[in-house]
Amino acid sequence: MQNLNVISVNIWDILISLVNLLLLTLVVKKFLFKPVTKMLAQRRAAIDADYEQARVAWEEAEESRQNYAAAMAAVKQTTDQMIAEATRTAEHRSSEIVEEAREKATDIRRQAEADALLERKKAEDDMRREIADVSTQLTGVLLKREINEDDHRKLIDSFLQEIGTDDDNDK
Amino acid sequence: MTEAAAPDVKSTRFRMTDYGYIAMMVLPLLACMALKVLFTPETEGVHIAGAMIYLEIPAPVMPLIISESQVNSWAVIISILGLCLYLTHGLTAKAVCKRQLAAEWIVEKCRKLVHDNMGDYFSAWGPFIAAIMGLSAFSSLSCLIGLYAPTGDVNVTAGWAILVFFLIMHYKFRGGLWNYFIGLFKPIPIFGPINLIGEIATPVSMAFRHYGNVLSGAVISALIGPALGGLSKLVLGWLPGVLGDIPFLRIGLPAVLSIYFDVFSGLMQAFIFAMLTMLNVSGAVPWDDWNAKKEKRRQRKMKTEKTAA
Repeated sequence: MQNLNVISVNIWDILISLVNLLLLTLVVKKFLFKPVTKMLAQRRAAIDADYEQARVAWEEAEESRQNYAAAMAAVKQTTDQMIAEATRTAEHRSSEIVEEAREKATDIRRQAEADALLERKKAEDDMRREIADVSTQLTGVLLKREINEDDHRKLIDSFLQEIGTDDDNDK
Repeated sequence: MTEAAAPDVKSTRFRMTDYGYIAMMVLPLLACMALKVLFTPETEGVHIAGAMIYLEIPAPVMPLIISESQVNSWAVIISILGLCLYLTHGLTAKAVCKRQLAAEWIVEKCRKLVHDNMGDYFSAWGPFIAAIMGLSAFSSLSCLIGLYAPTGDVNVTAGWAILVFFLIMHYKFRGGLWNYFIGLFKPIPIFGPINLIGEIATPVSMAFRHYGNVLSGAVISALIGPALGGLSKLVLGWLPGVLGDIPFLRIGLPAVLSIYFDVFSGLMQAFIFAMLTMLNVSGAVPWDDWNAKKEKRRQRKMKTEKTAA
């Protein structure tokens, strides 16, 4: 079999190698660059989707956090209000109770005073009646017997003694 | 390939397809080796020549020769096709395996290289540059398995260089044929012929640079073995018996030199060819003239629309 010379120009061979290069360009484009580009685009799309998902999730979380904060603020306001109201009610109630108690105490005192007054009156009445009794007794005694100096004295002493014992008995 | 259904990497079908693609990569090269072995005549001594001629078909102007370099080019193309299919087999957006990383790396690097060297306008040129680099590198490296490197044939690199030349001219004519013609005589009219030669010299230099580097590497590789064998016989021939016939100096050194002349030089030339393509093509666009032409065309269109209305 023959060999070509080291330098031998053949236009057909040149044309063939030119076409070969174009052919390989098409091959590389179709079978290497195209699939890889497609895959890279898919990867980018997947990553973008992930980022979008993360963003949406973050936004949702942020929204719920804000909602929660708002709810907490509302709850705090309500409790504050409730506490303030309760305090106010309690104060009102306590002053009412104190007032009532004072009134009651005044009533009791008045009652006690009235009672004491009544008692005193009663005692005075009793005393008066007693005195009357004593007077009648005395009168009876005086009338029954002659009175001398000594008798007189004895009589008064006994009388007084009677009164004293009466008083003692009353006490 | 759908996003949801990640391919089952362990399935028998997936593996069989993989093996098919690997066979697609390896078999063409093995076939080329077999072809070469079948056609190589038994010869003695150093024999430096161009590619072997497998078939000669009569054609107008000159016979169409199917030579070793053409067949090897096709084998390399089929191998690269197999490699592409293997790398992109089972691509998914989420699961990343090694081959997917390799495919992504190649694509991203080519894109970045093209974008850095050619600018935004040429950002779709990734596949072309990748094809140049792949074809050139794998063609040059095919000499490692004993094949004739297609890049060592001037016809092959000339074909590529002429394609690049057409592309350069295509972009140079963007600014208008007349503007291009005037541009040749721009600084002073005497520069006209020199500029013309410069235009033609670009593809010629590209073709010969690549071809010359690879061929010279192959020639040195071919020469160094027998030369070291002869040296060995001269220096160590006094050893008794069989020992004297073993060419000790041929052990190791040719392999080391081959790393430079075949591997490094081949990859370097692939890169240089791609870089020159990018720089020449992207530098060929006469932006000012082209923009002026576009503006003029737009105004003319507006005027005709106005008159029509």
